[in-house]
Order: sequence, then C-alpha cells, then structure tokens
Amino acid sequence: MTIKRITFLQELLKFMGLEGRLHLEWISSAEAQKYVQVVTDFTDKIRVLGPNPLKLGTIDELVKGGVKI
Amino acid sequence: MTITHQVEQLITQNKVDIFLGYKDLDGHLIPHSFTRDNLDELSQLQVGENRYSLEKIATHLTEKHPDIKIGIIARDCNQRALNLLYVWNQLDPENIETVNVNCCPSPLKPHGDCSYLEPKQSGAYKREHGIDFNMDAETLMDSYDNTERFSRWMYEFGKCIKCYGCRNICPVCFCTECSLEHPSLVEPGILPVDIPIFHLVRATHMAGRCIDCGLCEDACPSHIPLRLLYREVNKIVSTIFDYSPGAGMEKSPFNIIGDKVVLEPQPMDTKL
Repeated sequence: MTIKRITFLQELLKFMGLEGRLHLEWISSAEAQKYVQVVTDFTDKIRVLGPNPLKLGTIDELVKGGVKI
Repeated sequence: MTITHQVEQLITQNKVDIFLGYKDLDGHLIPHSFTRDNLDELSQLQVGENRYSLEKIATHLTEKHPDIKIGIIARDCNQRALNLLYVWNQLDPENIETVNVNCCPSPLKPHGDCSYLEPKQSGAYKREHGIDFNMDAETLMDSYDNTERFSRWMYEFGKCIKCYGCRNICPVCFCTECSLEHPSLVEPGILPVDIPIFHLVRATHMAGRCIDCGLCEDACPSHIPLRLLYREVNKIVSTIFDYSPGAGMEKSPFNIIGDKVVLEPQPMDTKL
C-alpha cells in the first residue's frame, strides 16, 4: 500500500512539475551501507535539481526567485 | 411517461419522502425539493442544462434523517456520485430512487442536457501563462517541461481566492472534518492561500473519490483547470490501484476499514 501511495504522489508531483524530489526505499537497521548509499545518491540527485521552488513561499517571492508566472 | 408523472407516482405511492429536482426560478433552474405537501409545485419541475450536486443534498438529509427515502434526478455523473456514496456508506441504495435523465449526447441519444456541452474558452493570457481549459494531460506533459509546468500550475493556483467553492459543490466531499479548514494547516483569513499545498491536498484527497463530474471547475470563480488536475489524479489511481471511482459497487482500495469488527471487544485488565 505504501509503495502504491508513494508512486501516486510521485506521479502527481511529476504532473505539477516537481519531478524527482520524492524517493522511497526500504532499509533495515542492519543495512547501514545501503542507507549511506541511498542518502548520498538522493542528495546528489537533489543537488542537481537545485533548491525546491516551493521553499520560496509566496507568489511574489516565487517571481523574484525566477519562476515565470 | 414524462418526468413529472414519474416523480408524481414516486411521491404519491410513498416510494419517496422527498424528491430532489430542479425548478425554474426567473429562467434559471435551481435545486428544489418536491414533497407530498407541495405536490402542486410539480408542474414547475424541469430538467435543463443546469447541474447541481443533488446527491450532496441527499447526503446531508440522510445525516439528519437516516431512514428518509429520497428520490433524485440523475444524470450519468450523479449516478457515479451515488455509487461512490453507497460504497462509502454515506447513502443506502435501499433509500434512494433515481429518475434518469439525458446526459452527454451519443449516437443513441442525440439530445443531451449538460452545462458541459459547450467547451470552455481560455483567454490569450491564460493560454500564454496558465493552462488551457481544453488541454488534456498528455498534451500538457508533452508541451511543457518540468519547470514550465510548475510555473503554469503556480499561476493557476495563485489566482485562488480560497472560497472553498470546489469543496462545497463536490458531491463526494463528505468528511465531517475537512483538513482544508484545520487552522494549523490552512491559516484562516490569509490570502493568497499557501500554494500549491492547498490544491495538492485537495487533489490527493480526490484520489479514489473524484467521479469527474466537473462541478468544481464549473464553480471555480478563478477559472482554475481543476477538472484537468483531478482527471490526472484519476488516471494515476486507475494505473496504480486499478480502480475507477463511481464505476461500480466494489470496495474502494482507499477504504482501509472493513465491514465488520472481527475482534471481540474486551474490558481492559486494570490489574496489569
């Protein structure tokens, strides 16, 4: 159910133009290396995407921040 | 047999206590309830292209009077909404009688009654900065990249005046507590509303619920292309969950509660 719900959210965010900012992974507490790998990979991915435009908050700030409206 | 006769029979034969239909008021069809006490008003019963979520009135009536028998004018979209409300136990199919009327025209019934028959017009500014009403999801995805889609949706959502019209008209919005009214989630009295969170919360809640009647888009004074958004939500739900809301009486995959309590209720052991 979780994987379905997250896939739903990923698809919706993609439709809204926020693709690739949500990631789901199952990691056991015994899988420290996997955890490091997943977090590192995802951080790199997010760094390429740049800061989340939603962080800018209001419409005025979005426009100032370069979002064309 | 005309609709008026059908309704008259339902009421006089005690099959329904109240019939929800439309009557003409100064040239505009408004929702009206017909009962035994105002049978003479039946002559004013009319069906035109105006639509309203009559099943929402039925849900509210049932909340107050659980055993009331309700008759209702039903187009295809009303029927889908009713199916969904049955599935979610908001209405009992035993207590609902429908009188079906024409919906969208088809080769079998060339005449249709629906306010959606006229395609909506999008102005030049909307086409340049926002999302064209007549665009479908595929074209939207193909025409604009990630950044541009985001800008265009933010333009559309930025127009929101937080009137709650989309929620209020929605036949399948029946929650007693709405998260869009929770003061810590949506601060009261503040405009513009927190975009796109407000709209995405609603879109997420439409998953497995939206029956694509389009009344939200009809009601929206800011011309936000909500139907396009919720249609995409429906498409994702159909792909991932293999479920079409309102199509039948199967249990919704979003309803995690079963029909019966399987555990025996027991008193808590206070000694432990």
